[in-house]
Amino acid sequence: MPIGFQILDRALRVIRFLLPILGLLLVWELAVRTGLAQAGILPAPSTILARAVELLGLTGERAVLFGHILASLRRALVAFALAVAVGVPLGFLLGLSEEAQLWVSPILSLMLPLPAVAWTPILLVLFGPGDLTIVIVCFLGAVFPVLYSTMQGVRACGRQPVWVVRSMGGSGLDVLRRVLIPSSLPALITGFKLGMAHSWRTLVAAEMLAALTSGLGYMIFAARSYMDVSTMFVGVVCLAAIGMLIEHVLFGTLEHVTIHRWYARDAQTGGRQ
Amino acid sequence: MTLDTAEIPRRRLPLPPMKLIRPVVSLGVLFGLWEIAARTGAISAFLFPPPSAIFAALWISAGPNGDPPYGILLDIALSLYRLLAGVGLALVLGTIIGLAIGLTGWGRAVFKPIISALMPIPTLAWTPVLLLVFGIDNRTTITVVFIAASFEIIYNVVTGIEMMTRKVYWVAASMGASRLQTLRYVVLPGILPYLITGLKLGVGYAWRALIAAEMLAASSHGLGFMIYDAQEYMDMKSIYGGILTISVMGLLIERGVIGALEKRTIEKWGVNVER
Repeated sequence: MPIGFQILDRALRVIRFLLPILGLLLVWELAVRTGLAQAGILPAPSTILARAVELLGLTGERAVLFGHILASLRRALVAFALAVAVGVPLGFLLGLSEEAQLWVSPILSLMLPLPAVAWTPILLVLFGPGDLTIVIVCFLGAVFPVLYSTMQGVRACGRQPVWVVRSMGGSGLDVLRRVLIPSSLPALITGFKLGMAHSWRTLVAAEMLAALTSGLGYMIFAARSYMDVSTMFVGVVCLAAIGMLIEHVLFGTLEHVTIHRWYARDAQTGGRQ
Repeated sequence: MTLDTAEIPRRRLPLPPMKLIRPVVSLGVLFGLWEIAARTGAISAFLFPPPSAIFAALWISAGPNGDPPYGILLDIALSLYRLLAGVGLALVLGTIIGLAIGLTGWGRAVFKPIISALMPIPTLAWTPVLLLVFGIDNRTTITVVFIAASFEIIYNVVTGIEMMTRKVYWVAASMGASRLQTLRYVVLPGILPYLITGLKLGVGYAWRALIAAEMLAASSHGLGFMIYDAQEYMDMKSIYGGILTISVMGLLIERGVIGALEKRTIEKWGVNVER
């Protein structure tokens, strides 16, 4: 197919994808304009857009939105880093020793059906509202996907490669570096992706319950008490957009430069060179 | 007496299987250490009340002397009611939307983009918006549960339809089945295993979302409301009791109810039949 057609084809696909969304927004806008929907509860998309422009500081007002976004991102990232620091070593331990995994798994399966947010009341009593409480809640949300993915990755590695390296006189460190880490890397990256997504999704609720002055969740919940609905919707859209960016752009690129590059070649040439 | 005693297999002592021993021991050790640490004052008995005290408080609140009487049972009942209502709604609407996406061109063109635009919104971010629309009401929490459960159900229904071979449609068509008959006798049985998988995942998400939504938006009762309310009185025993109840209920729903459903349907029919 000539390149011109390919571009046209892709453009058409994007348009076909966006059309229903635009249609929905149009219906929404019309419903508000004609008074079918109450503007006080469901503001028109144009109003929300105008509010977003204001919050971004494009009209000369203080750009509050960036502050909230940065505060939220910082908390989510710190929580994610903690989750990786705890989840990966623990995952390696439980993945390598079946005995340890069998004994710990009852405790884990008791923790798993708990939403991370359920710990908030205890943390609020312990530390009061603030960054510490929020970060710990997000950490609890992110650590299980990281832990379970790491466990699966390590478990899937199998014993033979370890024996091979061992028989050639490799130390425990060699096994870790040459066998376990490379073979569990795809699972690790999947775990990181899930962990970051969970950290971000938990963050909203945690910020609504425990933030003092900043964060997107705080912005949404505070706007509720002023009945400032457009700000709430701006916050919701920001949450979704940043979540998408993290998942698709950040981790999509990461997967592309690691997994797809290193491991796709494996399938063709039958081994790492 | 020709009976050869050596032939009779020696009976071993009926030891409970390791599968049962492990959880009892590992949880026992955890709670035991906690109990000792709290009793000896190694950790603050106010912030980390000993498990025995937590269970005692839980027992009292499940009886007529609780405050309110039978409080924890009411909380469980209300949480379950909200979960059931939301998941039921998600099951019906999710299946319909999933069928529309999987079977019709217009459904795919309309719903797929809208769903992929809505999916990245964290479920709980809807709570404040819903609070404005419905106020502090059961409808708010039920809608959050509905949102949390429906994406998984839709996704799995669509996958189920995509996994079906075209042959089954040809068979139905060659025997002169109407569209409705095809739906009833070919499509619905075909997607059922996937629907149950979607339900299982959806209920898991829904349970977690429900608890958080109750903390943000419940007017009275519900396990999430209970632990958040107890925090205001710094009633640590109730918080821990509530968390323990949430976790056990979650396990029972996921492993017990949905697991039993899977056993009776998917495992019995076998998923790998020629479809």
